[in-house]
Amino acid sequence: MNLNDEQRREIYENLLFARRFEETVLEAYESGGVPELPHLSIGQEAVGVGATYALSEDDWIAPSLRTRAPILMRVPLKEVTAGMYGTVSGPSEGRTTQHHMGSTEHGILGTTGMVGSHLNAAVGAGLSSRQLGDDRVSAVFFGDGATTRGEFHTALNYAAVEDLPVVFIIENNGWTEETPIEQVTAVEEDLIEFAGHDLPSSVVDGQDADEVLAATSEAVDRAREGNGPTLLEMKTYRYRPHAEVIQERRDEAEIKRWKQRDPVKIYRDRLLDDGVVDEAWLEDLDASLREEIEASFEFAQNDPAPPEETMYHVYKDVEVDRDGGVVR
Amino acid sequence: MSEHTVRESINRALAEELERDERVFLYGEDVGDYGGLYQVTDGLQDRFGEERVFDTPLSETTLGGTAVGAALTGTRPVVEIMFGDFMAIIADQITNFAAKMYFNYGDGTGVPMVVRTTYGAGDQFGLHHSQSPIGWFQNVPGIKIVAPSTPHDYKGLLKASIRDDDPVIFLENKLRYEDEGEVPDGEYTVPLCRSERKRKGEDVTVVAIGGMVDVAMEAAERLEADGVDAEVIDPRTVVPLDKEPIFDSVRKTHRLVIVHEAATFGGFGGEIAAEVAEEALFYLDAPIERVGAPFTPVPFAENLEEAYLPDEEDVIEAVQNTLGR
Repeated sequence: MNLNDEQRREIYENLLFARRFEETVLEAYESGGVPELPHLSIGQEAVGVGATYALSEDDWIAPSLRTRAPILMRVPLKEVTAGMYGTVSGPSEGRTTQHHMGSTEHGILGTTGMVGSHLNAAVGAGLSSRQLGDDRVSAVFFGDGATTRGEFHTALNYAAVEDLPVVFIIENNGWTEETPIEQVTAVEEDLIEFAGHDLPSSVVDGQDADEVLAATSEAVDRAREGNGPTLLEMKTYRYRPHAEVIQERRDEAEIKRWKQRDPVKIYRDRLLDDGVVDEAWLEDLDASLREEIEASFEFAQNDPAPPEETMYHVYKDVEVDRDGGVVR
Repeated sequence: MSEHTVRESINRALAEELERDERVFLYGEDVGDYGGLYQVTDGLQDRFGEERVFDTPLSETTLGGTAVGAALTGTRPVVEIMFGDFMAIIADQITNFAAKMYFNYGDGTGVPMVVRTTYGAGDQFGLHHSQSPIGWFQNVPGIKIVAPSTPHDYKGLLKASIRDDDPVIFLENKLRYEDEGEVPDGEYTVPLCRSERKRKGEDVTVVAIGGMVDVAMEAAERLEADGVDAEVIDPRTVVPLDKEPIFDSVRKTHRLVIVHEAATFGGFGGEIAAEVAEEALFYLDAPIERVGAPFTPVPFAENLEEAYLPDEEDVIEAVQNTLGR
């Protein structure tokens, strides 16, 4: 995929947008302001941004709870922020956490709190694509820990057997919650060793949005041409613990080492080196993103709590009372 | 009208819906070329092709997860789970995923999927191929549980289930596939979430579910010879429950017996009993009776399984108890 200067700037904007958003979430959480427990993606932004950039707007995205960037790229910001506050303007008007949101309009598959349960759902989106003949690809993001679950193996197997248009993206940040992934997986080196012979797979530098974009584009093309799924392992790292409630137990040195390969900095330096942007442009962008994000938090903090009837939204095709009795 | 078996009725319902709506597809272990373990999908792959009717790995995890994903993205999958016991494997996708996505989305996206599965004892299939899984799912808001009792209802309720925008567990009683009954020749559906009075009576209300409806009907025939006039109510959709016809009947007969196949303790009968106690307690002239299985796994040996499964005698005894006989 040959990118023009405008596209490269757009990718950087999305990287910085995700970074600044997550930083603001953290600040708000630490000052007691965000009810949803943050599972931050700081450090992993290049995976979501690069991969989403490789998809067309019609393609389905099945995010994990840490895949914030694709959601920010597709869903209006105020809606995302309100989602974390559980207020009426959120994606489900406060019924669900923002991490699990789904939206047909924005091509985002809702998910659950069971790690990996969305992998087969993404394969199901591939079945729909085949049944409807609409060429839509589905990209599913998940952490390294999900590769230890049966969901992962059954989804890979079935997508490969049926040649379905699915791109499986492991965001391997090295830690499954607070346990090193190598401690719980019987692979020599890479998690793609789990893939069968009939499934193309590759390891990608998940800190470099251009590398992510290139690898995902190839996988998307393969899927759209009817040649089936691909498994991509993005090597990445999260700067924060699994969730903000969890004590950090990783080495300071390890975290520091990974910060040397910061995805936002890598991209910024490359654009500066290539003369695609200058310092003034970068400063302006940062200021305007911060302003936009701040405004969304201010909006969400003032957005009304949902009225009680919001939660009586259980069946689409029948009217029931609050105890589940059918209303005649 | 003509006579058809339950198996034929389900097969015809599937064929008609596959014909009517190209978004419908049917998949599961052995459902394609083989036609399903119970031959319910026989001939459908030949007629509709391998892209509409197809085999899958034996992974209920794959079936459940892909069905939710497909239902969320514009198609209407119909899944076959060979035995209701295997619903334990697909339970995550049903309870945490399918049941919750309409609630989870804010844009009205539904989950139009049907999980067909067999259930019930009586074949000496042992403790892992004979269970009745209603109780496992009855406490999960967002799922519909449908348990038909006649060929007419099997066909009409399955067609309605496939057209419904909520996830439906459609329960097929293994002992009833050969049952015959009158089925209209033309197009019809039976609405979900509507209880039906299968037999009019004045002396006692018998609420029976799925395969137990026939048992209750036969018991009612025998009771009639004894001068007892039993009313039989078939909820057909167990969750969410259409309660009013049950309350109305109890207000008239003043006696209630509930019959289902799973264990009595923790079973659906307890829920109906509680509802009636809340809404119509002072209409009751006798304690509520529940007829169900003992609190054991489904045993294998023929005599044990026979003792396990509720029968007409059990229903008659319960009715007599409510009449103080």
